[in-house]
Amino acid sequence: MTQTMLDTQPSPPPVGKIRAMLRALFSTSLALSASRMRLAALAFLALYAVISIKLVYLAFKPEAATSRRAAAEAVAASRPDIIDRNGEALASDVKVMSVFAEPRRIIDKDEATELLTAVLPGLDARDLRERLGSKKGFVWVKREVTTHQRDEVFHLGLPGVGLIAENKRVYPNGPIGAHVLGFANVDNQGIAGIEKYIDGQGLADLHGAGFGVTPEELKPVSLSLDIRVTHALRDELEKGVTHFKAKAGAAAILDVNTGEVIALASLPDYDPNKPTEALDPVHINRMSVGVYEMGSTFKALTIAMALDSGKVNLNSRLDARGVLSFGRFKIHDYHAQNRALTLPEVFTYSSNVGTARMAMGQGVERHKAFLRKMGQLTRMRTELPESAEPIVPKNWGELNTMTIAFGHGLAVAPLQAMMAVGALMNGGYLITPTFIKRSEEEAKAGAERVVKPETSEAMRYLMRLNAEIGTARKVNVPGYFVGGKTGTAEKVVNGHYSKNRLFNTFMAVAPSDKPKYLFLTIMDEPQGLPETGGYATAAYNAGHVTGEIIERVGPILGLAPRFEPPHQPFPLLAKLGYGYANVPARGGGGH
Amino acid sequence: MLRLLNIVAVLVLVGSAVYAYSIKYQTSYRAEQIAKTKIEIRQERDAIAVLRAEWAYMTRPERIQQLADAYLPGMKQLEATQIVAAQSLPERSPRVDSIGNKLDALGLSMPATPPVPGSAPTTTPKAQGQSQQRRKP
Repeated sequence: MTQTMLDTQPSPPPVGKIRAMLRALFSTSLALSASRMRLAALAFLALYAVISIKLVYLAFKPEAATSRRAAAEAVAASRPDIIDRNGEALASDVKVMSVFAEPRRIIDKDEATELLTAVLPGLDARDLRERLGSKKGFVWVKREVTTHQRDEVFHLGLPGVGLIAENKRVYPNGPIGAHVLGFANVDNQGIAGIEKYIDGQGLADLHGAGFGVTPEELKPVSLSLDIRVTHALRDELEKGVTHFKAKAGAAAILDVNTGEVIALASLPDYDPNKPTEALDPVHINRMSVGVYEMGSTFKALTIAMALDSGKVNLNSRLDARGVLSFGRFKIHDYHAQNRALTLPEVFTYSSNVGTARMAMGQGVERHKAFLRKMGQLTRMRTELPESAEPIVPKNWGELNTMTIAFGHGLAVAPLQAMMAVGALMNGGYLITPTFIKRSEEEAKAGAERVVKPETSEAMRYLMRLNAEIGTARKVNVPGYFVGGKTGTAEKVVNGHYSKNRLFNTFMAVAPSDKPKYLFLTIMDEPQGLPETGGYATAAYNAGHVTGEIIERVGPILGLAPRFEPPHQPFPLLAKLGYGYANVPARGGGGH
Repeated sequence: MLRLLNIVAVLVLVGSAVYAYSIKYQTSYRAEQIAKTKIEIRQERDAIAVLRAEWAYMTRPERIQQLADAYLPGMKQLEATQIVAAQSLPERSPRVDSIGNKLDALGLSMPATPPVPGSAPTTTPKAQGQSQQRRKP
């Protein structure tokens, strides 16, 4: 229709042609505007098409790899804070500046090397020149520079040399709790301890996949440790190790109901802010990496096994006369009584002969099976990546059972022994120790019952009795109803047990009626002192230190002291007819 | 009429363009502010992290113990005997107004006692009356 309308228009005269064209151009006549509008629409359509194509192109085109990006990949990633059970900081990230270079952009590499080495002392000039000469897009010049150095590098104004903020891990408490925390390297990757465990929990995968995890997205990791208790424990242990001139020592506190390790110290130790110190083999965590013959503390396991089987009870008498001979081996008693001893007496006199006979009454296989059930024959796994396999005799015969009954011939990690004794104390649940805070319900959910509740109560009674009248009197801190057991193991020197090089252990539980905390102190080669009468057995050193620890940390742990003896501390035993267990033992034990 | 409409349309177009530009300008201004604030937040957060670490370092038990040993010579380790249960605390004795008793004994209680709650109603109506009087003129 428009066509016909255009055709019908009369052709204008040549003079008025331009004017007519102008009029036609600005005319608002509907006939003309329709075609013009179509043209305009087409033009706009084309324009929009170009824009959208460009948008799609931009969206698909990969971003050019910039130096910033390369730097972001290389910088130390952020890690979650580590806090103790009360929320005190144990490890956190702070920002530090690092100097990097883009060799391709540096104009004069020799000059850059010269200037940088002048500003950053301790930098090897030849090594730096080599790095700057490489074809890489990004190289580190120096990590973690001081603020002064940072300003100097900035003022050099070298093209291709830049500064970037990095995370640095700091451990404000120094050596306290160092063995549990472990440490992180300069790239902020966990290398040891809980730091490595955190990386294993998926943090490393996140970083590896290129997700920049910001600090606010990371929840702090709450440990089971109490930093104040750990300090007090370490302080007392340090005093003890120095006083008794021991080669090394370690101590730990375990919550027997949750399996949480409340405090752990192993001396000599190191500062995790200086990770190179940690590599020294004398700085190992003696609680979980070292394996030792635990000595008489193992008697608790033997007696628990015998009681749990029902073959003996608290009134049983065992022959502990003279020396027990097996082939060319002879087993002696340290506190020899040379008479038949009751079962509690075997424990309080720490009779090797009596315990060996008790184990033999069970037989080799049952002894082995019981120790396996108690987790003493296999490697114990906690959150800490560092652990050690127990040293189990290859051909386990009758003699092995006899000696292992009193803690010689089987070497386990001390924390592993704590787990077993903890099970004997807490009512019979074997709970793997943990370094992460947890509740009793969570702990009991994964726990396995290994002994009867009656056996557990009998063991607590024996521990308490031992602290009242037996070898563990050093630890009988008034008010906390403590129970304990000494352990003195002779160290093997050139294939023989040495009489004067001892490895001492001391296990204590508080309070004995409602068990909550298990204390263990170990000491490597403590010396006899004039005030101990020259004796170097466990009660005098490890026992003494444990007593000091309990006295000092009791109030911090919130243990309420009671000076009235608890009414009926052992109700199950009373029901079974051992009413005497609930009466405080008379002090006249005579040993 | 149509021409007027066209002019109005052009004006509206120009107006909307100006409005759109100002909106756009404001948006980029705000975006800049957000970016700046984000950087500030990050810096503050880093500073907080440093301060926290410093606080933890200054209050580490080892240092507190050294300070306590040096400056609190009279302090001793807490002993179990110093802790008592709440039940063993003595009952709270009935409240005694010892100052009042003293005043009574001296015969000064009447003028010296401040208005007790019982005497309060006698003063309030008076105060109300005053305020009403003041309002009248």
